[in-house]
Amino acid sequence: MKKTHSFILVLTALVLFLSGCAGFQTSNNSNSTNNNENNNTEENSEGKTVIDFWTFWGSEIRRPIIEKIIADFNESQDEIEVKHTFLPFGDIWTKELASIAAGDPPDVVINDINATALRGQKKQAMNLSQFLEQDDISNRFYPELWDATLYEGDSYGIPFNTDTRVLFYNKDAFEEAGLDPEQPPTTWAELEEYAAKLDKKSGNDYERIGFYPLWGIGYDVWLLNANGQNYFDKENNVQIDTAKNEEVLNWLKTWKDRYGDKVVNSYQAQIDSQQGHPFFSGDLAMIAQAPTFYTQIRDYAEDLNFGVVELPEYEEGNGHTSWGGGFVAEIPEGSKNAEEAWEFIKYLTDVEAQTYWAVQNFDNVANVEAAEAASQSSEFTEDGSMVYQKAVENMEQTLLTPIPVVAPDFSSLINPNVDQFFLGSMTAKEALEKSQKDVENLIKKNQ
Amino acid sequence: MDKTPEDNDYLDRTSDLKSIGKTNENPSFLEHRGNRKNFLTILNFFLLAIGGLLIISPLWWMVSTSLKTMAEVMSFPPSFWPENWLFSNYIRTWEAAPFTRYTINTLTITTLVVIGNVLSNSFIAYGFAKIPFKGKNILFAIVLATMMIPGFVTLIPQYVLFAKLNWINTYYPLFVPAFFGSAFNIFLLRQFYMTIPTELIEAAKIEGANHFYIWWKIGLPLTKPAIATVAIFSFNGAWNDFLGPLLYLNDENLYTLQIGLQVFKGQLSTQWNYLMAGSLIVLLPVILLFFFFQKYFIQGINLQSGGK
Repeated sequence: MKKTHSFILVLTALVLFLSGCAGFQTSNNSNSTNNNENNNTEENSEGKTVIDFWTFWGSEIRRPIIEKIIADFNESQDEIEVKHTFLPFGDIWTKELASIAAGDPPDVVINDINATALRGQKKQAMNLSQFLEQDDISNRFYPELWDATLYEGDSYGIPFNTDTRVLFYNKDAFEEAGLDPEQPPTTWAELEEYAAKLDKKSGNDYERIGFYPLWGIGYDVWLLNANGQNYFDKENNVQIDTAKNEEVLNWLKTWKDRYGDKVVNSYQAQIDSQQGHPFFSGDLAMIAQAPTFYTQIRDYAEDLNFGVVELPEYEEGNGHTSWGGGFVAEIPEGSKNAEEAWEFIKYLTDVEAQTYWAVQNFDNVANVEAAEAASQSSEFTEDGSMVYQKAVENMEQTLLTPIPVVAPDFSSLINPNVDQFFLGSMTAKEALEKSQKDVENLIKKNQ
Repeated sequence: MDKTPEDNDYLDRTSDLKSIGKTNENPSFLEHRGNRKNFLTILNFFLLAIGGLLIISPLWWMVSTSLKTMAEVMSFPPSFWPENWLFSNYIRTWEAAPFTRYTINTLTITTLVVIGNVLSNSFIAYGFAKIPFKGKNILFAIVLATMMIPGFVTLIPQYVLFAKLNWINTYYPLFVPAFFGSAFNIFLLRQFYMTIPTELIEAAKIEGANHFYIWWKIGLPLTKPAIATVAIFSFNGAWNDFLGPLLYLNDENLYTLQIGLQVFKGQLSTQWNYLMAGSLIVLLPVILLFFFFQKYFIQGINLQSGGK
């Protein structure tokens, strides 16, 4: 019996010791342990208010850039100190949601711009009108981005960065195929014609593929490009089942039929895995991508002689509509330091910080003045300048596809049907009809 | 890979591993068998070797990627052997984030979880298996029913609960639950306890021992294999846990290895070479564990499938 008791004693001691360690580390390293009972705002030793800023920028490249911006802000301040926390991409928002539910969220979080209205509606993000009435900063940004942050006229997040889709092409391959490297395709018809010329076969195998529209971007970008607008109009009428969409899907399918499933799938796997890219090795002559794709060319294929151009248009005069996304800085509902958070967001989206981010990261920023300043930056190489200027220019014809609050996650209803179409078990018409019906039902349910 | 096919049926044998070792050391063992048997042995060996190579190839891909430059990782077609063996990738990986600290953190949590799981589940299972009391079956059914609730459903309520306890940004939410048992482990150990004759318990009782003493002195030693299984599986679970630490820890100094690895994965691109180097380092203890406790791993799987 004695032994048993001593065992329990030792065990208890061990558990207490180890948990003590855990507790000790916490209290030692931060004073951010929440106090739900006494809503104290956190203060650091110098009496500054500490605000918690969550991002998913933890890589070797991005982390120093955002931390420099934060350091600059902290230095310029004697009342606020920003504490940066890195969380993995994607999971960061699961955690944000949990912390909002528990009533102890961080003060500023970087989140997806396209679902900002949804988060506003669900009371996850704070309504920023109270701050915007004092200082209206809405005219800093591309109108397309600003509109995406609105729910019932109020903004729920401030645009931080954005992107667009452009066409990269291999100039050497153009020359080899007898095409003018300074005259990239401007219409879908030209795209097809050039791709055919750029294809290079030996026996049954492709040595080089001209172009495949669904590597790099999705079918929905091509629909957007052809229509010049999203599936939803202002009154939330759905326009999926249209003759034009049917034509576009069938057009995309012709490419798949031309190269064959085997070729398409093996290249697709290669591109998706982000390991080994046929465009870098010259095995693929053209690809639609976001401008940041340039940084990979710069790092992994520096000798590649390439050009960049806007997406070809459906037919002449139709417009080179492209698609973009981006991120906002938002204040989660329940933040205890909203005013201080707003001060920081203003700094984060102002010209200085945005220009620095744009140039160092080679990223499209939401602030128009900063974007234009960055495109003139002398820090870029010739190629870099060329791509960045094209990216900034392209913002004018770039549309975002904000998720309507009445149709959350609508794409998960459309995608399976379109997959069925590409697999050959549905016609384009059937896939679009079904998608139209499914999305309309979703909207009915939510209205 | 130095196993003979005869080793394969050791799973079915109840005898311990020693006897197998003996058979292999005995050279006369194959002599009295025909050539045909010999041929089959070689064929078996050959097929197993090919199977082994196939299974190990993803692991080799990890090793190979971890030694390449990013430019080589991105080259097309991919190369199987790295051009230059860049062992410095491992150093750069380790320095890319405070991995030493993350290792200590992960070890702390894992140790506590293993201790908690072994003690609590074994204790609870003993009660369910050997102590008769009213409503035992209903209670046991309720315990098992908790297995039906998917973790994602309880995610937010659990988070809110721990937040109310002021446990966010501490390790408590990560290891304290381990001290309160988990349905699967309780079930596993209970099945094992059922095989211990009740007479043994009764004899101990007559000698004047209480249940606690019997559990500690007789129950624990007799259920060693099952406990090893529980320990190994909870080690694996805690070591590889990603969502738990992610949700409950805010301070980067408290982060674990699994979160640390995520720094190599960006929104647009992934630093595969560092990610693979880091993953291999993190995987190492699990592989070592497997080599040393292979027997228990397989027993554990048998217990699991047998139990179901």
